[in-house]
Amino acid sequence: MSIRKKGYSHWEGQLKESAFVAWFPLTRLGIKLAFQKRFFKLFFFSAFLPALIFLAGIYVSERMEDFRFMIQGQPSFLQITPNYFKAYFTNSFFLFLLVLMMIFVGSGLIADDLKFKALQLYFARPLRKVDYLLGKMATLGFFLLLLSLIPGWIFVLFKLVFAGNFAFLRSYPWLPLAVVAYSLILTLFFAIYTLTLSALSSNSRHVALMIFGIYLASDIIFGIFYQNFHHPYLALLSLKLNLQQVGAALFGEKLFYPVPWGWSLLLLIMLMGLGLAILNRRIRSVEVVK
Amino acid sequence: MNPVVETKNLSKYYGNVLGLSDVSVEIHPGVVGLLGPNGAGKSTFLKLITGQLKPSLGQVYVFGQKIWNNPQLFADIGYCPETDAFFEDLSGWQFLTWMLQLHHFSACQAKEKANEILGFLHLAEDKDRLIRSYSRGMRQRLKIAQAIAHDPQLIILDEPLNGLDPLGRRKVIKYIRKMGEEGRTVIVSSHVLPEIEAMTKKIILIHQGKIFASGNIHYIRELIDSHPHIISIKCNQVRDLAAALIKAEEVIKVFFTPDPQEVQIETRQRDVFFDRLQKLILELDLNVEAITSPDDNLQAVFDYLIGEK
Repeated sequence: MSIRKKGYSHWEGQLKESAFVAWFPLTRLGIKLAFQKRFFKLFFFSAFLPALIFLAGIYVSERMEDFRFMIQGQPSFLQITPNYFKAYFTNSFFLFLLVLMMIFVGSGLIADDLKFKALQLYFARPLRKVDYLLGKMATLGFFLLLLSLIPGWIFVLFKLVFAGNFAFLRSYPWLPLAVVAYSLILTLFFAIYTLTLSALSSNSRHVALMIFGIYLASDIIFGIFYQNFHHPYLALLSLKLNLQQVGAALFGEKLFYPVPWGWSLLLLIMLMGLGLAILNRRIRSVEVVK
Repeated sequence: MNPVVETKNLSKYYGNVLGLSDVSVEIHPGVVGLLGPNGAGKSTFLKLITGQLKPSLGQVYVFGQKIWNNPQLFADIGYCPETDAFFEDLSGWQFLTWMLQLHHFSACQAKEKANEILGFLHLAEDKDRLIRSYSRGMRQRLKIAQAIAHDPQLIILDEPLNGLDPLGRRKVIKYIRKMGEEGRTVIVSSHVLPEIEAMTKKIILIHQGKIFASGNIHYIRELIDSHPHIISIKCNQVRDLAAALIKAEEVIKVFFTPDPQEVQIETRQRDVFFDRLQKLILELDLNVEAITSPDDNLQAVFDYLIGEK
C-alpha cells in the first residue's frame, strides 16, 4: 500500500496500563440499574426487616427487666450466643430473601448483555474477561454483603454497646470472623450461582425462573427422597441445607443433619467451580457460528 | 515505517466453513476502505483485528503488539460493530459516559467528552431519552459516538453509514476523512462503493475470505490486465480523432456512443495512448471538452476483480 507522507503524524502516546478498578464502572451501573427496577426499592428496604428484628432481640436481651411485663422467664432465643447468629444467618427465610435479591439484581446481569449483544462493546475496551466477571460479581456482592456481613457486624457491635462491656467478645472472640467467613461463602456461592444461570440465557425472565426453580427444586427433591429413605446424606441434594450445614459448623453449633459439614462445603466449592467453568465458556465477545 | 495493523497469514475457520484465508496485509495511517460483498469476510477480518476472535492460523499485530488477549491495546482502539449493541434501558448520554468510564475516564471527563461528541453527532437534544426510543439513524450515530469518543488512534467502523440520512452520512464521511488527515488510522467496511469512494482512495478488497487487492483504487485498476482501459473523449471532431486513433497499435477498439460528440477507445497501454492523444490534439487542433475513464472507478475495479464482468 502507498504510504501517506503529507500530514502524517505518527502515534507516540503511551498505552494505558491496567487500572486497578477497571471493573468498577460495571458494578456502579449494575447497582444503579437495580434501583431503577420496579418495586426493587420496596423489596430492598423490606429485606432488612429480619435484621432489624434480630437487632431488637439483642436490645431486649440486655434490657430484660424493662421488658419483663412482656416476656416470662429467660427465653432461650433471647440469649445472645453464636446460636443467635446461626438463627439469623441460616434461617430459611433469610436464605430465601437472598435468592429473591439475586432474582431482582442478578437475573439480567449477563443475560441482558447477551440479549443486547453488548459483550462485543465491553471487550473492545481495556477490559479483561476477569474484570467483566469481577464487575458483575461485585454488583451482587454489594447487595449480598449488605444483607449478611453488615448486619452480622452490627449485631456484634450493638451487643457490645448495649452490654457496655466486652464480655461477649471475650467469650466468643472468633465470632466476627465466623460472620465474615459465612457471609463470604454465601456471597460467593449466590453470586456465581446467579451469574452462571444468567449466562445460560439471553432472557432475564427465564433466568429468574431458573434461579428460583433450581434452588427450590433441590430442596423439594431432598424432601421427597428423605421422606422415603430417611438417610441424612440426602441433605447434600439440597442447596439450602448445604448452606445451612456450613453455617451451623462455622458458628460452632449443632448441625441440621448428622452429615460431616465438610461434604457440604466441598459440594458448594465444586458447584462454584463448575459455575466458573461455564462462565468462562459462555463469556466471549462474539458468538462463534458452528 | 511500522504498520498500525499487520496480519500475517491470517486464517479463520468456523468448523468447516472458511471465514478468512491466508490474509497478509499491512495497514498504515489514513482512511482505508474494506470492501466486499455480503459474506465476503469483512466482519470476520474486523473481529480478528479487534481481538474479538482468535485466529485459527496466523497472527494479528496492532501497534506492533499481538492483539489477541491484550486488552490494554483497546485504550487506543475504537470499534463500531455492525449490529446494535446497547443497553436499551439507558439514555444515550448515560450509555456514552459509562462507555467512557470503561476507558478509565473519570466521571467528570466522561461527562464532558460525552456532551462534546453527542453535540457533534446531533444527539444533544435527545441525549436524555432512553435508547429504546431512538430511531435507526440515532442508534447508528450513538454507535459511532462510542467508537470515537475516547479519541482513539485506530478506529474500526463496520458499516458505519447504515441507516443514516444523507445529512448525517455526509457529516460522518467528512469526519472520517478529517480523522484520516490527522494521521489516525481509520478502517471502514462497507459494501456500498460510493460511500467508500467518498472517504478514501485506499482500499482492501475482500471476497470469499481472501484479499483480492489492496492499495490505491487507480493503481489497482492499472494492474488489471485482463480488462483493457476504456477512455472516453468528448470533442468537436470526434470522427477525425477516431480515424487517427484506429491506426494506433495500442488501441484495441474504437466505438461511438449515442452522444455525437463522444468517442470511446479501449487500450491496454494507457500511458502510450495518452502520449499519442496529446500529439493528436495539437495536430488536429481539437477542442476537447472532456477526457474520462468510465471504468477507472471503484465499481469497475470491484466488478472486474470479483469476476462479475
